Amino acid sequence: MLGIALIGFAGFAALCLAMEKHFSDLLGCKPRPQQVRLLRVAGWLLLMLSLVLSVHLRGWGHGLVEWIAVLMAGVTLWVFVLPYQPRLLLGLAAASLVLGPLLAVLAG
Amino acid sequence: MKSKAAGLPLSYRLAVASRCLAALLGGYLLASMASVCIALLAPLSRVDATLIGLLLSFVFYLLAFIWCFACRSAWRAWLGVLLPSLLMAMASGIAYWMKTP
Amino acid sequence: MKEGFRQAMAWLHTWTGLIFGWLLFAIFLTGTLSYFKEEINHWSQPEVRRHALDPVNSLGLAQRYLEANAAHAGSWMIRLPNAREAALSVSWRDPEAGRRGFVSKSLDAQTGQPVEARDSRGGEFFYRFHFQLEMPYPFGRWLSTFCAFIMLVGLVTGIITHKKIFKEFFTFRPGKGQRSWLDGHNAIGVLVLPFHLMISYSSLVLFMYMVMPAGILASYSGNTGDYFNELFGRDDPPKAANVATPLVPLPTLYAKVQEQVPGARIGYIQLHNPGDSNAQVTFTQASADNIAYKRSAKWTFDGTNGALLSQGAPESGAMATAFSFAGLHMGNFAGPWLRWLYFVFGVAGTAVIGTGLVMWLGKRQLKHAKSEHMPSELRLVEVLNIASMSGLLLAVAGFFWANRLVPVALEGRADWEVNAFFLAWLLSLVHAVLRPGRRAWGEQLALGALAFALLPLVNGLTTGQGLDHSLQVGDWAMAGFDLTALAVGLFLAWAASKMLRAPKPVAKRASRAAKKPTADVVEVG
Repeated sequence: MLGIALIGFAGFAALCLAMEKHFSDLLGCKPRPQQVRLLRVAGWLLLMLSLVLSVHLRGWGHGLVEWIAVLMAGVTLWVFVLPYQPRLLLGLAAASLVLGPLLAVLAG
Repeated sequence: MKSKAAGLPLSYRLAVASRCLAALLGGYLLASMASVCIALLAPLSRVDATLIGLLLSFVFYLLAFIWCFACRSAWRAWLGVLLPSLLMAMASGIAYWMKTP
Repeated sequence: MKEGFRQAMAWLHTWTGLIFGWLLFAIFLTGTLSYFKEEINHWSQPEVRRHALDPVNSLGLAQRYLEANAAHAGSWMIRLPNAREAALSVSWRDPEAGRRGFVSKSLDAQTGQPVEARDSRGGEFFYRFHFQLEMPYPFGRWLSTFCAFIMLVGLVTGIITHKKIFKEFFTFRPGKGQRSWLDGHNAIGVLVLPFHLMISYSSLVLFMYMVMPAGILASYSGNTGDYFNELFGRDDPPKAANVATPLVPLPTLYAKVQEQVPGARIGYIQLHNPGDSNAQVTFTQASADNIAYKRSAKWTFDGTNGALLSQGAPESGAMATAFSFAGLHMGNFAGPWLRWLYFVFGVAGTAVIGTGLVMWLGKRQLKHAKSEHMPSELRLVEVLNIASMSGLLLAVAGFFWANRLVPVALEGRADWEVNAFFLAWLLSLVHAVLRPGRRAWGEQLALGALAFALLPLVNGLTTGQGLDHSLQVGDWAMAGFDLTALAVGLFLAWAASKMLRAPKPVAKRASRAAKKPTADVVEVG
């Protein structure tokens, strides 16, 4: 489940960066329209991927419940730590992009 | 709000109190009638229809609550909860009468 | 009441939130604690020892104990130990003691002997409080169910009021006074919204049979009993034949259940007419095994020959929906990490209510920042805010302190724990009345910090099962409690230091905000 949580976390991070205000705050430059579109698509794809994996690994009932739970936890962590430790969170999001699928594959 | 409320006219206060009562009691009546109506009329087995009626009743209560504070006057608030309640009561009455001869 | 739909909803959100906020805060906080009901039970009754789970052995022990001590009883109930509950509980209805003659005993899962644990309501107290509010039946249940409905109203009106729900989805700006409180309130509300909606709607589902009886009365012509029998698949218990017949060994029935559903954990076993020729035994699967409550997960056997008489009827779609909400609310299915998330989301719900109350007052205080005296109604809200939030935390701490310090042999000591809870709450109210707002907050939070941070120490000194012991033997429920108390203490210390130190910058910020009441700050109200 940690793998799924990390994928969902990365997905929300991408969706957050897909907003112009947050992109320029976090990365210090204005995003190009393509970047925004790419981030938005990537974010939604990651969320969908985590859902599919969760249901595949845990079945519909537990899968859905646990998916929503880890997603809520991840995005809450992101939003409330962001003003204090933006670099740490960006690093964590990048790491979870790699670690998430890896853990999910190992669990499957 | 409260400090301003000291200067609010009595009619305004009565209207707010009336809306609160309409939401609380009228809303409950509406929700109850909705649950009865669904329980008697839904084309399901008796136990399921009753259960669905219970589950959905709170949605009606919620909508009634919102209506009572969103509509333009306290009179409309009462009308908005009592009229549908009456209609559903009539529908349920007919259904009840047809089921228990 | 203002013109416009959104304004009207903001008004409703503000005022229902204020009036029910204090009670909702208490319901949410104690409800959140209830996710660790068994763990709190374990902490408050450290005499109950944990053993490796062995359901077959436990069943044999329970049967032996009941046959020796309750052979005359008309019905028995056995609750098997599980991963969270160490004790093997047996109870029976004493026929000589009338209607209230219900006897319960906790047995040691290895020896089968009754455990003489200290008399305490433990986690059960918080669990009961969060839906009964220590009020006589059925008023507490009605009131808390109505509070849940108001929470639902608050959530829906909050969403309607919140203009930039998507634009500010990821926004939290700390250190900006009222702006930050609103950001925090919105963010916790929106990000954890699925949980908030689930928990408030499911509370209604749990009590809908009680608060919305009209539908049942109409379609069952007043026979609510029929409805429940049909809904939960219950049958009336068999009558005793008064012919003594030995009871089949329960472990053999356990094996038969395992044949039906391999790996099923058993929650409790109910016996009617044990030792009679009409004996009946019903095994019910543990609620930890399924998300939804399952009426199908039970097996009834003939108690004399062990033949399977019936299995619970399958659920319809409507039942599965209703039972899923019930299961999701109680979270019995949740393993350790999901249980912690439940706890965190419960804290989030509590925080949404708390931040809302703080904002209501903060915004109105700004208007009176320059004058010396606060209007009395604002002062009242301030006092109630302090007593209902930091005061409740002190009350919870008071309960746990009483659990460790009230002598074990004292008559009615469980009631004294509850008294300590309410006494601490009352004292905090008195304190809030006597002290100026900010000082009262700071002092109560500081005391709360001390009370929670010292709990592990008190535990170690009074029971010898402090962190040094529990971490060593791997008693994670005990250690988790102590560590959580420590963490709560640290958090409260941080909050207290913010309150006690530097009121100046906030005042400056407040006056700046008062000068420029930007439209986005004054959205609600």
